[in-house]
Order: sequence, then structure tokens, then C-alpha cells
Amino acid sequence: MVVDSLTVTFAALTDPTRRSILQRLASGPATVNELAGPYRMSQQAVSKHLSYLVRARLVEKRREGRRHFCRLRAAPIRDVADWADRYKAIWEQKLDRLDAYLKELQKKEKP
Amino acid sequence: MNKSEKAGDLAAREITVTREFGAPRELVFAAWTDPVHVSKWWGPKGFTTTTTRMEMRPGGVWELVMHGPDGTDYPSKIVFVEIVKPERVVYDHVLAPLFRSTSIFEDLGPRSRLTVTLRFESAKVCEQAVRQHGALKGLQEMVVRLAEHMGKGI
Repeated sequence: MVVDSLTVTFAALTDPTRRSILQRLASGPATVNELAGPYRMSQQAVSKHLSYLVRARLVEKRREGRRHFCRLRAAPIRDVADWADRYKAIWEQKLDRLDAYLKELQKKEKP
Repeated sequence: MNKSEKAGDLAAREITVTREFGAPRELVFAAWTDPVHVSKWWGPKGFTTTTTRMEMRPGGVWELVMHGPDGTDYPSKIVFVEIVKPERVVYDHVLAPLFRSTSIFEDLGPRSRLTVTLRFESAKVCEQAVRQHGALKGLQEMVVRLAEHMGKGI
């Protein structure tokens, strides 16, 4: 269900290390070693974050030979985007109502 | 989603709605910023709104409850960031869903144009929430609230 996956996506994005891993993967796939490079934490800790991102389906891991490549998955991010689009519809309705209300106000001013 | 979007801010999304009104800018601004006026139109079709607190100043809080057509209440809380009469209102929606909204009022003589932008910025918003609440727990609760909102089709 979209709601559940959105919750998971937002939860995954709450952590700055995970966000920075995703930013890195946005420019292309990388190995776990490459990803761990810039952080002052063990590769094990980075792996933990990666597992979280894999569970949230924001990252997929693929084996090529001896190396594991991580790749960004866009679908959950797109879901967040689609969700935001719903707010556009709500605001269109608000502005319809504001328009009607302004007309009402002006009628009262000039009977 | 295209590639540049994917490579851009993660999960950031901006939406914009624009409308021209047959009313002068001052009136539109008043309709937005006066608690009596705003409760007449705020919220989706079929909703009514009760304002319990509305402080029209930067840092001021607007607490309101939107009542859905099916009787469900949706509490909402807004913190004003910038108010420039009669040109501009910027606020942060501080309950889920977190976003920053900017309303620009343009003077078109007897008419006016209102442009509203909502910026949903998961990454930044998450940092903010963590700062504000001092813990991740607050944010997790917000995410749950978001899920509830979504479940109710808001």
C-alpha cells in the first residue's frame, strides 16, 4: 500500500547518513566500499544503513563478480512526488472557495 | 521522473497553484490573513474550519481544525515565517505533512493574482523536525500521523 511505503520512505530519509548515501547513489551505482569511503564510521555501520535503504526499497544491491553494487531506486521517491501532487488538487479547491467567498464579500460591499 | 529530477534534491517537490481574482489585492490579502475571513474558504471542498489561535506575525502560530464532510477533524498547525502586507505570506506547516508555503499577492488594478507554492522537502524538513523535537521520536510520530492523514484520503 502506498501509505505504508511512504511511511517507510520518510523514515528512511530521516537519517543524514542515509540521505547522503542516496545523494551519492543519485550520481550512479557504487560499491559498498566506495560508499563507506567518505564516512567516519565502520563499513559495518554503513552496511547497516544500506540494509535499511534496501528494506525501504530505495536501494537495490546487485552482485557483479565479487563486488556488490548498490543502485538507487527512484520509485519510492516518485511516490512521495505523487503524494505531493495531491496537495495541488486540494489547493485548487481552496482557491475555488476563496474566489466564491471574494465574490460574496464584494456583493455585500456593493448592494 | 526524469534523470535530472532523480539526481536533484531527494524527495523534494514543489507544487504551485495560481489564480486570478476579480477583487483587489488588499481584499484578497485580508481574506487570507483575517481569521474570520479565512475560515470561510480554507480547506478542501465541503470542509469547515475552526481557528483557535491566529497570530499574524513572523513566528506567530495559527492553530486550526479542519472539519471534514464526514465529521472527521484534522488538526493543523502553522507557524508564520514572513508577512508583508499586502504582498506576501510565508508559513511552515509544522504538523505532518511538513511543508513551507509561500503566497504571493499581485496587484492587477481592480483584479489580483494569488500564487501559492508548497515545498515539501523531506530531507530538510526531517532535519528541522529532529531539531525542533530534539529526538527522532517526534519525527517518527509525524510520519505516523502522515500515514493516518493519507489513510483518510486528505
